[in-house]
Amino acid sequence: MTKPDLHFFELVLRNIANRPYRNIATIFAIAIIAATLFSAQYLIGGAQESLDAGISRMGADILVVPEEYNKQAETIILMGEPTTFFFKDSGFEQISRIPGVAKASPQIYVGTLSGQACCSAPVQIIAIDPSHDFTVSAWLKENPGVTLGKNDIIVGSQILGDIGSDLLFYGHTFHIVGRLDRTGMGIDCSVFSRIEDAYVMADESGIKAVQKLTIPKGRVSAVLVKVDPAASPVAVASEIRRQIPGTKTITPNGLLNAVSGQLGAVTRLLYGSMLAVTAIAIPLLGFISAMVAHERRREVAILRALGATKSYVIWLMLAESFSIAVLGGLIGIGTAVVILMGFQDFISLSLKIPLIVPSPMTLLVDGCSTLFLCIAIGGISSLYPAMLINRSEPYETIRKGES
Amino acid sequence: MIEVIGITKAFATDCSDVLAVDNVNFAVKSGEFVLILGRSGSGKSTLLGMLSGLTRPTTGTIRINGTDISNLSDDTISELRAKEIGFVFQFSGLIPTITALENVMLPTLFCPDGPGSRTRAVDLLRKVGMSERADAYPCTLSSGEMKRVAIARALINAPSLLIADEPTGDLDVDTEIEIMELFRDLNREGTTIVMVTHNPDLVQYVTRTYRMTRGKMVMSDESLSSRKRAVEPGANVND
Repeated sequence: MTKPDLHFFELVLRNIANRPYRNIATIFAIAIIAATLFSAQYLIGGAQESLDAGISRMGADILVVPEEYNKQAETIILMGEPTTFFFKDSGFEQISRIPGVAKASPQIYVGTLSGQACCSAPVQIIAIDPSHDFTVSAWLKENPGVTLGKNDIIVGSQILGDIGSDLLFYGHTFHIVGRLDRTGMGIDCSVFSRIEDAYVMADESGIKAVQKLTIPKGRVSAVLVKVDPAASPVAVASEIRRQIPGTKTITPNGLLNAVSGQLGAVTRLLYGSMLAVTAIAIPLLGFISAMVAHERRREVAILRALGATKSYVIWLMLAESFSIAVLGGLIGIGTAVVILMGFQDFISLSLKIPLIVPSPMTLLVDGCSTLFLCIAIGGISSLYPAMLINRSEPYETIRKGES
Repeated sequence: MIEVIGITKAFATDCSDVLAVDNVNFAVKSGEFVLILGRSGSGKSTLLGMLSGLTRPTTGTIRINGTDISNLSDDTISELRAKEIGFVFQFSGLIPTITALENVMLPTLFCPDGPGSRTRAVDLLRKVGMSERADAYPCTLSSGEMKRVAIARALINAPSLLIADEPTGDLDVDTEIEIMELFRDLNREGTTIVMVTHNPDLVQYVTRTYRMTRGKMVMSDESLSSRKRAVEPGANVND
């Protein structure tokens, strides 16, 4: 026997194609739901992974900053907006001696200016002390061919300029020797140099730059702290604040909370929109399904007369809904991915959140959960009409259709 | 082949209860071509619905090939319908979204283990004179062509019983003759056919005639000499 080549799914596709306008409208509605849901998940996942990558790159458990510059420090870390600030007094040595502190690394933050007479671009310079650093040194260990020598800089992923080329800051020429991977955080818009080069840059700025840069000797902008594995970062941070008045401590969890706060409003808006669209879509799609089911009563009755079981008819109608839902879901997800990736930097700046493209696994999970919701919406909206259509007596329906 | 024992079918309407089929008893032997004559509302289509298992009788028993279908589950009766019963309706009943050939193949979806196949569908279309229009969609076919395709579809799973409900009701006289000759040929090849109609002229094609009036099978005229016009003495079915 030759296998019949009319298949269940062929019937499904033909039925979908037979009502193009109505199905396109349905697909569009589901695409909006999918795009909204996926965007919310993408932003949350992207921000979370960005934070993880950025904090991992910093390698610190605690960032100690001047109390009055707490917000600016968070902005530097999260968004890389150029800022210059210093402690009134150096507490670096004192921090190193606090119990639970394994390593402490001082950093100087200098925001550069724009203009040819000063700087190549407005960026955040983070000057490190190579003898204490564990941020750049960790990266250097991963890239053994690179060293951070005199007037060398390692740049964030968003900084323009090829490795081997020069950048000018406050009239001082720096040489790019390495480029960090993208994190979606402020590090991407920062350049790392040695503290002694930053001092030279400041000293020369009075002659070489339009605006003189002052870096007070012996004073730093922040201290990165790595905590002993046995110690609690929260307890150590608390002790630092207690022993050194005028300091503020920033922890990864604190950063996460700050970002969550910023994300919260956006995600609430996205989820709210999604719920509203879903709340409208389910009855609307149910109504459309009911209309289609009513139109197809005779067709269903014929299928039943030809031997289709009730469950076959229900599966046929559900398969049509699922197919439309999957198609709408894929279009929505695809559109969202294109927009989110294409406008990632704009979205990150507008929402003031760190953002990177989530990992393929995160994207897969987000995509699958979005598709699942779309399928559920499609199924819920068409199940009742499909069951209702099966309740009518097929032969009566056929006879009514004839009259 | 078919045994109908004391079946009734009652419907509740807004005005009153209607006894559409009232204690009907009859039998159809394998290889017969049975015509059930009756006016509109006489209960003949309701009877066909019950014979096919699409409508359940209120009381009574229907046996097809020895199986009592009155109390079978919906799935079992659907399977039986797919395997054993071919349907031809008054209107074509073709699915508009698929071609004539695909319409013929449609019942194979419900009877995957049956003899239905693309090859058989092509052969059946050839048999009903529609091989040239195999790839045409129903909307491009004439009423007669649609009916031929519907007959081919009814035969795809090689059913032992063909049920036809007013199959020539919407056809002109010439096409009606063509379709009835096709039914007669199928019957001569061994297919059992039960057909309902209000047209008494069709008795010339059948081997046995029954008549229904107000839900009752009031008389039968067994045409012992097949293909002879069955005449009901003194009866006018159009009364």
